[in-house]
Amino acid sequence: MKSSMKYALGVLGILLGTCATAHGLDFFRKPEVDPSLAISALTLLAGSLAVLNIRRSK
Amino acid sequence: MNSDRSSAEISRVHAVSASLLPRHLLGRFYLFGALVALEYIFCFSGKGRLPGHVKIFGVMTDPYGQIPLFAYVVFLSLGHSIWKAQKENIPFGRIFFGFHLLFIAAVLSITLGTQKGPGWLLYDPFGYIRSSLCLPATILLALACVPLRSWVRAIRSTGLLWLYSSLAGVAGWYLGTLIKLLWTDANTAQSATMQTGSLYAVRAILSVFLPDVVIDPTSFVIGTPRYMVTIAAGCSGVEGFALALLFTSIWLWYFRKEYRFPQALLLIPCALACMWLLNIVRLCALIFIGDAGYPDVSDIGFHSAAGWISFIIIALLFSQATQRLSWMRKIPPAASSFAGPPHSAGVECLPGAPAQFREERGESPAIRAYLVPFLAILAATFVSKAASGNLEWLYSLRFFAAAITLWYFWPRLKSLDWRFGWFGPAAGVAVFLVWIAPVWFQHQPAASPLGQALAALSPTARWTWIAFRVAAAVITVPIAEELAFRGYLARRFIGREFDAVSFSSLTLLSICLSSAVFGLEHMKNLMDWQHLLLGTLAGLAFSAALRWRGRMGDAVAAHAVSNLLLAAWVLGFGDWAQW
Repeated sequence: MKSSMKYALGVLGILLGTCATAHGLDFFRKPEVDPSLAISALTLLAGSLAVLNIRRSK
Repeated sequence: MNSDRSSAEISRVHAVSASLLPRHLLGRFYLFGALVALEYIFCFSGKGRLPGHVKIFGVMTDPYGQIPLFAYVVFLSLGHSIWKAQKENIPFGRIFFGFHLLFIAAVLSITLGTQKGPGWLLYDPFGYIRSSLCLPATILLALACVPLRSWVRAIRSTGLLWLYSSLAGVAGWYLGTLIKLLWTDANTAQSATMQTGSLYAVRAILSVFLPDVVIDPTSFVIGTPRYMVTIAAGCSGVEGFALALLFTSIWLWYFRKEYRFPQALLLIPCALACMWLLNIVRLCALIFIGDAGYPDVSDIGFHSAAGWISFIIIALLFSQATQRLSWMRKIPPAASSFAGPPHSAGVECLPGAPAQFREERGESPAIRAYLVPFLAILAATFVSKAASGNLEWLYSLRFFAAAITLWYFWPRLKSLDWRFGWFGPAAGVAVFLVWIAPVWFQHQPAASPLGQALAALSPTARWTWIAFRVAAAVITVPIAEELAFRGYLARRFIGREFDAVSFSSLTLLSICLSSAVFGLEHMKNLMDWQHLLLGTLAGLAFSAALRWRGRMGDAVAAHAVSNLLLAAWVLGFGDWAQW
């Protein structure tokens, strides 16, 4: 039951996020998140997460 | 003899092309999904609309073409672990793919035709013709990526998942329509709830600091007599909500073996609440900046950058919170010797895994020296853009951010071979010529507000700005970008221990992938195909320079020479659009 709930909520989150992103984002305007900066922003986020994910020995 | 050689050559080419594609079922499913998503976006001019509306319980729904897309996302998510275990090699249907390309070419020609407006092309405002062509194209692509026999086996192996996915697709489509009402101004009870909420939250904060706040709830306008903004549907916080929800859901899904549920789910509403608050702060700051006499900064720079800055802050805080809060982790943070999130797959993720396995998790520590200078430039770019109008007056921040981080990591980086030969600069000249060729054939420079903004400055300020712009283009950017894209990314595609891979042993695939990412990074907007192609070609040339003698110096020299020549072109011809 707990496992099903975990999966169902995960799917619901992804689904709602995708829905809202698809509805909200307009590629040709500059609202809350500017699409022209999307690649730089996602690169900065992905790079920062990778740097935070380094191995550290005790 | 010749036919033997040619057939061997053909089979070798087929082997190379096949090795570039995922070989197993799960990878093919992802390939199919990615290609459909790309075609869906670009065949419909980025509008992301498929035709077809129906009215249900008085609500006009969104196009029902979205149902199969949502259903496929659910199908793939829930069947992931079952198909991951299937390691049988799957053939790629080249004939199906060829016919698929023909259909897509027809769709694209109609799209371009309707944009250009030639009279002999049938105008298709609702996209019905393109949709009816897209349907067989998608079926052909599905059969090219995954043969019919494998589809049947995949569906059978997951029981009634196809039915659940279809139902979830319908639910997602209808739910999406209902959610959309929260930020659109349709005439329903719940319409524009988010816009109204944001409007009154902004007024509550502004009233504390500004005595003359003006508000018009019917048009969602708020500000002062000197500067006003309209809180449009897209500005109401919905996009931040959507991005945060997507990021947090994918994160918890991917690292699900690490966390306790439902405790971990509590962080999602926390992230959404923080995102909402930061959007309110962003709207208030927009009005403060505009009211203080800097409407250009408010309208152009801050408006564009602040939303992304908020999202990046929330995403990083969320990722760190999931690592450090012991009550939501299966593995307590103290028991783990790592700072970041471990990968979900592998024995090292399990509690009590032997120390030698745990040592294998995470990225190599060398990543910092290769990536941080480039990330510092990106971070400085967001800060300087947020504080700028048409002229990015804080551009020097990018130079100093890169220079300081390079200086900090120099003890680690100085062991690289920074010498260069003739090939590096020659590759740089070639890249410049290819880069500038489209501009050369256009015969006149594209209009750019940068030239006018620079002309309005005093000579000292203008030349100081240009000096930093050229210094960054020729010194810090080539070093930081080559370290990130060639030094790290191209080798990271080969293995996790990227610093153990020599520059001479970069593979064709790793070079192509890193060059494609380099091309993406040079797009000025999501439809900028020209710079995507030019950036990718430049990445290939710089990779060739690096691989030639395995020296970082050659790649940096190539990059620096091309940027230097571009700077000379901009200054010599006044073609500011190239910057």
